Amino acid sequence: MSADGRYYFRFNLYHRILHGMVIVSFLGLALTGLPLKFSHTGWGSWLSHALGGPFTTGYLHRLFAVVTFLYLGLHLGYVVRLVLKRRPGIFWGPDSMVPQPHDLVQFYQHVRYFLGLGPRPRFGRWAYWEKFDYWAVFWGISIIGGSGLLLWFPTFFAHYLYLPGWIFNIAIIVHSDEALLAVGFIFTIHFFNGHLRPEKFPMDPVIFTGRVSEEEWRHEHPAEYERLVREGRLAEVAADPPPLWMRNFSRVVGFSSLAIGIILVWLIIATALR
Amino acid sequence: MPQGLTRVLGGIVVLGGLLVGAAIVSAADAPTADECLACHAERGLKREKREPGRPDALFVDHAALKASAHGGLECVACHSTATAPHERLPRVRCTDCHDTVPAVLAEGAHGNRRAKARAAAPTCTSCHGTHDVRPVAAITIDICATCHVPQVSQYRKSIHGKSRGRGDSEAATCRSCHGAAHGVLAKSDSRAPTYHLNLPRTCATCHADPELAKRHNIAVGAVYQLYMDSIHGRAVSRSGLLVAANCSDCHGAHDIEPRTEPTSRVFRASVPATCGACHAGVQKDYVQSIHGREAARGNAGAPVCTDCHSAHQIRRTEAAPWQLDVIRECGTCHAESLRTYRDTFHGKVTALGFARVAKCADCHGSHTIQPASDPRSAVSPARIVTTCRQCHPDATRKFTEFQPHADPTNSARFPGLYYSWLFMTLLLVGTFSFFGLHTLLWLPRSFAERLGRRGANPPEES
Repeated sequence: MSADGRYYFRFNLYHRILHGMVIVSFLGLALTGLPLKFSHTGWGSWLSHALGGPFTTGYLHRLFAVVTFLYLGLHLGYVVRLVLKRRPGIFWGPDSMVPQPHDLVQFYQHVRYFLGLGPRPRFGRWAYWEKFDYWAVFWGISIIGGSGLLLWFPTFFAHYLYLPGWIFNIAIIVHSDEALLAVGFIFTIHFFNGHLRPEKFPMDPVIFTGRVSEEEWRHEHPAEYERLVREGRLAEVAADPPPLWMRNFSRVVGFSSLAIGIILVWLIIATALR
Repeated sequence: MPQGLTRVLGGIVVLGGLLVGAAIVSAADAPTADECLACHAERGLKREKREPGRPDALFVDHAALKASAHGGLECVACHSTATAPHERLPRVRCTDCHDTVPAVLAEGAHGNRRAKARAAAPTCTSCHGTHDVRPVAAITIDICATCHVPQVSQYRKSIHGKSRGRGDSEAATCRSCHGAAHGVLAKSDSRAPTYHLNLPRTCATCHADPELAKRHNIAVGAVYQLYMDSIHGRAVSRSGLLVAANCSDCHGAHDIEPRTEPTSRVFRASVPATCGACHAGVQKDYVQSIHGREAARGNAGAPVCTDCHSAHQIRRTEAAPWQLDVIRECGTCHAESLRTYRDTFHGKVTALGFARVAKCADCHGSHTIQPASDPRSAVSPARIVTTCRQCHPDATRKFTEFQPHADPTNSARFPGLYYSWLFMTLLLVGTFSFFGLHTLLWLPRSFAERLGRRGANPPEES
């Protein structure tokens, strides 16, 4: 990254703190959940014991689950606040996270580009895979969080909601498989899209610094850049270059998280192939 | 030569001559064997007046005497006061020559006063004979059998006795376990090799040797080592408990037989009764359980005590290591139940080595185990809520509809679970296929982008 080039904000501090909570809770949930799912493997057993055994990991798992529900609440609160402030374009338009027809068009164009049949699509603020990641978190929290709560308080649900016991059998399957989906997706697809693909390799610090260089921005999100230039709003997002401490912090946290994720996904794949 | 020394030497010569002369005179008085046999070779020779405890017959089989251990001795070596002819002679005292034996005998069951007072203790001649006195090697079990009739007849039918009969010189005889005859101790004597607390070590003189086990096709090699680590072995060796099982409590003593013999105490079908000799309460429960009833019916697949508890490595059942291992033991027969158990939180936590969650016996019971269809079963509809409440105090009947052994791939028995599993599997396969392909297609293009960018605009940061 160029230290003297121009920088612009992509994520504000609130975005970054919430994504920090996502990283911590997600890695925490993975590290304390996978040893139980893979208790039959050597690494699963080792990891479980290293973290204090299944009862300790169970306690920590619930703690990270609370952090997850917390960031979900903080994010929903953020959206509600934007709605109350009548910020335009939350639910439709180029700044919105809601999937729109141009996302399908860009996906089609992207595939053509993969196959060498067309130019690289000019993505706006949110590319279609970034929207997918955003909505996948809602899906994941509903499915894993819901089944997790059932398994956390089984007698409560059986007694007060009169749920039959076999619901917990389904909850075990759903919780476990959806977690595998989430972990597998984040540690391979999201890591590739966000960090490991050659254009960004080894990592993209934007989620930690919040700042993106002009060159990077124009390459990744040209439509957004051009729109802001057209609307004369470039100055609104102008930023100082990320200070050294912030870049170092990004590297430490980013590489640690990448390493934990890649090791875990490697262990899962190795177990599956065994 | 000085005169004084000559005189002393002369005196010694004279004295020596006198002694030799005296000996010759007395030898001349003592009768020779031929003189004795002049009367005692007659087969019908009998004592004129009967004496209790002494034989009537006075016949001496000279050939047998010559062939005996005492063949080189004259008659007078034992009958030292005999003349020819003579009246009644005193008893022969073996201890005049064998003077170390009495002390040993007095210590042992064959010679001490208390034993003598209780039963007819053997005299020297009971075992060794009289004129036909046997060399030690010739004193066989037949001699023991003159008194110990039931023990020897049991022994002859035992694996030790039969092996001896086949010429196996390593098989135990009386002496192997009881020690040498003169000092032999009753098993109530705490010094005896057969005393309850000493017996394991005695058996170990042979059965601690894996090589011996191999030579004799004994299935369990280091049986002594296993036993000494078991709850029984520790109770005997560390706590000195006379009620804890030692080798003979399970295997018998003189009647010991291999477990393949239907008459053996450790034959599969006899194991519950053998263990039940001490664990009577457990046996009572077990015989009513599905395992016990099936075993009694002759079902070879039904477990007896040793299948779950092992034979020589029996451990404390309250401790986690055994409780966790026995889950695998249940799984050797109930493989499907173990597989599905491992899919649940209960099964995963126990797989990690923690016994605080439900294990097989916590729900199904152990010695009282019954099929779920039996109203006595802890997992029967009548009792399941109570059983779950042991750990989940708020459990309701709805809660107990949980399937602790569900197979998500079985659509007939668990349709809801099956379709959930199918949906999740398709979701995973679909998502990963879609994005996997997306990534693989993107990768070369992204490489090209980076190389292109580098060529057009060299990086400013090193």
